[in-house]
Order: sequence, then C-alpha cells, then structure tokens
Amino acid sequence: MDRFDKFNIAIIALISLITIGMLANQEIIKRRLGVDEAEAAEMALYYAEKMALNAKIYEEVISLKEQELYDEAMTKLQEVMKTYPGKPQSHVYMAQLSLKSGKLADTIHNYRLAVEKDPDYMDKKTPLFIGHEVKELVKESLPKFGREKKLKPKDKTVRNALKDLYYLQRVLAGGCE
Amino acid sequence: MKALRMIDATIITGALLGLGGVFLVYFGNPANSGICISCFLENFAGSMQLHDNIRMSYIRPELIGFVLGSFFIALQSRRFKVTGGSSPIIRFLLGFFILVGCAVFIGCPIKMIYRLAAGDLTAIAATAGLIFGVWLGAKYIRAGFSLDRVKELPRINGYIIPFFAVLALIFLLLNPSFIIIGEKGPAAMRAPIYISLLLGLAIGVFAQKSGLCITGGIRNFCLVRERTLLNGVITVFVTALILSLIMGQFNLGVNAQPSSHLSHGWTFLAFVLVGLASTLIDGCPFRQLIKAGQGDVDAGITILGMTVGAALVISWALRSTSAGPTFEGKITVLAGLIFSLILVMVYRKRKPA
Repeated sequence: MDRFDKFNIAIIALISLITIGMLANQEIIKRRLGVDEAEAAEMALYYAEKMALNAKIYEEVISLKEQELYDEAMTKLQEVMKTYPGKPQSHVYMAQLSLKSGKLADTIHNYRLAVEKDPDYMDKKTPLFIGHEVKELVKESLPKFGREKKLKPKDKTVRNALKDLYYLQRVLAGGCE
Repeated sequence: MKALRMIDATIITGALLGLGGVFLVYFGNPANSGICISCFLENFAGSMQLHDNIRMSYIRPELIGFVLGSFFIALQSRRFKVTGGSSPIIRFLLGFFILVGCAVFIGCPIKMIYRLAAGDLTAIAATAGLIFGVWLGAKYIRAGFSLDRVKELPRINGYIIPFFAVLALIFLLLNPSFIIIGEKGPAAMRAPIYISLLLGLAIGVFAQKSGLCITGGIRNFCLVRERTLLNGVITVFVTALILSLIMGQFNLGVNAQPSSHLSHGWTFLAFVLVGLASTLIDGCPFRQLIKAGQGDVDAGITILGMTVGAALVISWALRSTSAGPTFEGKITVLAGLIFSLILVMVYRKRKPA
C-alpha cells in the first residue's frame, strides 16, 4: 500500500462517515417530525377524499340498493356511468347489483374490470379492499361454472366466466403484479 | 498539418455545439437547455415510460442525430470499429452515477457551458467541480488506473445502439400508444423535429471526426498539456456566449436563472463525481453517445446505465429542483464518489516495490 492508496482510503472513510452521518441525521429528523405518521395520514386523507367523492357520485345508487330496488339502482348506475365513464367503483356496484339479480357471469366480469382498473380493491391496506366478497364469490362460483363447463363445453359465457374467475383467483393469490 | 486538421474539426464541433445550444433554445427548446445530454436522456426515459413524469417525456431528436451522425461518418470514413468488453457492469454503474451527478446540478457538462455562457453564475461551482474531478481522474490515470482491456467484437454488436437510434426516430415520428410525448412542462418545449435532427446529425458527424469531449479536453490538458480538445471546449463557450449576447439570452447573475439552484457545495461535489467518473470511463456523456455511434460497445453500456439513471433520478427523486438537491440526490452523489474511489483503488496497477 503506497501513499496514494492511504490517501484514497482516508478520503473514502471520510465520505463514508459523512454519508452515514447524513443518513442517521435524516432518520432522527424523520422520527422527530413523525414523517412516517404524516405519510400515513396523507394516504388516509387521499382515500377518505376518494370515498367521500364516490359516496356523493353514487348516493342515489346506494340509496336504491339499500331499499332493495335493484332494477332502479341499475338504471341509475348506468346514468352515472355515462356521466363518469371509466370509474372503477361503477363496476363494483354493477357487480353487486348483478349478483342480486342472479347474473353471476356479469358479477364476476364486473369484479374483474374493477380490480383491473384499480388494484387497490384487492389491497388489504386500503379502505377500498373488497377481497373478502370477491373471495367468497370465487369460492362459490368456481365449482358451479366447472360443472357447467362439463355440461356445456362450448358455451362462451361459461368459458369467459371461468377465465374471469381464474383471473380473480390469481389476483387473490397475491404476488408482485 | 494533421494537428491543424484536428484543430479545425474540434473548433467546428465546438462552434456547432455553441450555435446549437443557443439556436435550439430560440426554436423552442427549454432555456439554457439547447443541448443537454442528461436532460434529454431523462426526457427519453419518460417517453419510454421508464418514469411517469409526463413533463419530462419526449424523444429528443438531437440524441438520435448525435448517434446516427457519428455512425454514418464512421462507416463512411472506415472508422467504425467494434470494440468492447472492458468492465461493462462498472461502466454501467458509472453511467448511472454520472447521470445522478448531472441531475443534482441540473444539466450535463455541455449545459454547464451554456449556463455559464448565458450568464448563470451558479454554474461556476459546477465548472470548478468538473475541473477538480477531471484533474483527480487524470492523477489516478497517471498513478496507474485503467479499466479492463478492450477487445475487438463481432460487428453486429456495434450496430445495436445505432439501430435503437433509428427505432427511437420511428417512435418519434409514428408516436405509437406506448410512447409518451408530454404536452406540458419542459417536454412541450421543443424545437421542430427536422431542425433538431439536422443539427444533431451535423454535430454527430463533426464530433466523431474531432473526438471532442468536454472532460477529455480538460483531462488531456491536465495529463500532457495538450490543448486540441480544450480549444473545442473553449469554442463552445465563446460561440454560445456571443450568440447569447446577440440573441438576448444573456442574463448575468445568480438569481432567476433557469433550471438552477443555490446549493453550490452540492453542485461542486456532483460535478466532481461527473468529472471523475467521466475520466475513468474515458468520456463525458456527449462523448459516450458519439463513441456508441462509432461502434464502441462499452460506450453503449454506459449509455444504458445513464438511461437507467435518467429514469431513477425522476422516480426516486435523486436530483435537484429549483429548491435545491433532494436528500436522496445528495446521498447518491456521495455513494457515487465512494464507488469511484474504491474502483480506482481496485483497478490501479501499482509499480513493483
């Protein structure tokens, strides 16, 4: 090791110390200011605003659904979908209303659309999480559509419903998607 | 005579770069960013959806011009030589760190010259940092530093980066759905495609002929007092300065300068990193593009590293804004310096005792 190496090592050690010091200092400041809590609060506020907006947009749909007026709720929902196209929450309500009307394939497909558009619906850490009801649906529907496929192997509706169910199953299984 | 021809080519390249910098701003590019390799790579990364800042998403035709200009003239003059295999992963990482250094300053060494020529005094710290970094790199080279030996490679390797440049041009012209062209912020500030492309091609041609390199000019002067490339660097400054004054783009001062901040210490350190790393891999970001066009696969790898850096400086905020450098940007600059110094130690061939 010559003088050059010694000089280099000294410089590397100095810069490393400064870096570690800066990182430690940042951690202390973060703890003091409660940055993590602030980030969590910001996230909570984001979802609160999103849910409040949804509650406002779908107010009538929710009200009709609670009164068990499913056909009227569906008509209203279709109006809302024209005014606010592309909102994933519409598919969630569409799925729930289709389920009440016994349209299982439509229910499954709309859950798929909702989840595809907003993965937060399958994220336990967000208040939008609807994983439980999707899981329940998948559990009940898979054997049913499995049986139907055996009876009607070329039925497109059954095949598509199964594709959607498998998709939801994969999403429920998690991963890094 | 040969030296005279070289000087001519370097000075023409310098003049074209100076002229390009000011004229491209006149035609629509962002202020002081007529040509900026790091900003343009950030734009390119955004257009490829490698980051999601739509304000920084555009395929700059100048980049395509540099690579293709160099490629065509190298082919035509039989200087297209396909080499590579010299410490590729290290070059990739150094490319990444160079880009972070540029993002912390907000500009590459060429933009540093433009900023100085436009009267931006905050660029003085970057100039000092770059000179110090290159001087340090030259010292290390003199003390025995060199990366692994370059090998000749099959010709197809050399065509990859020029092919990507052609592909990028097709994407720019056809604008397929997966390419993002921002319509706000810096991305929306752009000179007409044909002007940018033609100027890029012209600069690419002359830069390949002359070998002009901002850090190379300083390095050659530090190592052997050789001034050819340095004259080109000075020409960039002088041309840009004269044109800035004529075209009313000159605004002397520290405050109210476009894409600048007042954290001069971090600007200095960031450009020490850029100068040192560029010297270790033999060329500034601009030179890497030109070398990639003439068949240097190692330069191609460096460009890939810079492109990843361009994406991450936005996604991870490893950069500066007008408010100054982010904490993450500062840490990455320090990490880059540590990495470069460790590299120097490992790759130094010591004289036997």
